[in-house]
Amino acid sequence: MNPATLIPMNQDRPNSEDEKLGRLLRESRATPPLPPRFQDDVWRRIEAAEAPRALKSPAWLDALAGWVLRPRLALAGVAALILAGAFLGARDGAELARRDSQAHYLAAVAPNTLR
Amino acid sequence: MRNPLPTLLGFLALGAAIFAGSFYVTRQVCVMRMENPADDLTWLRQEFRLSDSEMAHIRELHQGYMPKCAVMCARIAAKKQELEDTLLGATNVSPAAEQKLAELAALRAQCQAQMLQHFAEVSQAMPAEQGRRYLAEMQRLTLGSHEQIEQSMSDHTGHELHQH
Repeated sequence: MNPATLIPMNQDRPNSEDEKLGRLLRESRATPPLPPRFQDDVWRRIEAAEAPRALKSPAWLDALAGWVLRPRLALAGVAALILAGAFLGARDGAELARRDSQAHYLAAVAPNTLR
Repeated sequence: MRNPLPTLLGFLALGAAIFAGSFYVTRQVCVMRMENPADDLTWLRQEFRLSDSEMAHIRELHQGYMPKCAVMCARIAAKKQELEDTLLGATNVSPAAEQKLAELAALRAQCQAQMLQHFAEVSQAMPAEQGRRYLAEMQRLTLGSHEQIEQSMSDHTGHELHQH
């Protein structure tokens, strides 16, 4: 067989029929408009994916924060802290007052020269 | 959710501040309400839960004792001054200084005896159990400090002798 008679499989020369077909196909496919702030969203997703894992809080911390920061629980915690502080403060204050009063009495009836 | 650690730490700090504020305010209010600097006998009333009539009797005893105590204190102060004057510039303990020391000790003993007598009288004005507790407490507070010093001195001396 004469090689000159062979037909190449991929011809670089554009076929005018193919070009026409391609144009028709492009025209027939409708391109929907991009959603607003599409580019920003894409960049945000890329940044989030590239962010180091250490910056992300562990799941248990999220769960704890979610649990602790519930308004009802927070209110109960504040009330408990106030009550505990008041109870211990009253106990300490009573002891302090008792010691001061004792020292006052002692200073009156038994001056330092006798102790 | 953003990193919740700062929020949690802030919440913890707020909790600590609330607790501390409550503690200190209550303590201060308690001290202000329970203390009465104008009255020497506040401690007796509170500690021994005395009735008004018992307090009135004790107040009489207290007011009778205070001038005697003041006189004794003045005599002790004068004797201390005499002792200091005798010791001034001296390089040795003279017989005069020894005499002043003995007089000072006698005065202190006399004053202590008077004080203990007052405690006994006050204890008798209280209900029996409270009176016993008062007397024991006052003896511990007034004579106990000497015992502690003497005990520590004897321990120290004994330790040194043992080493030699």
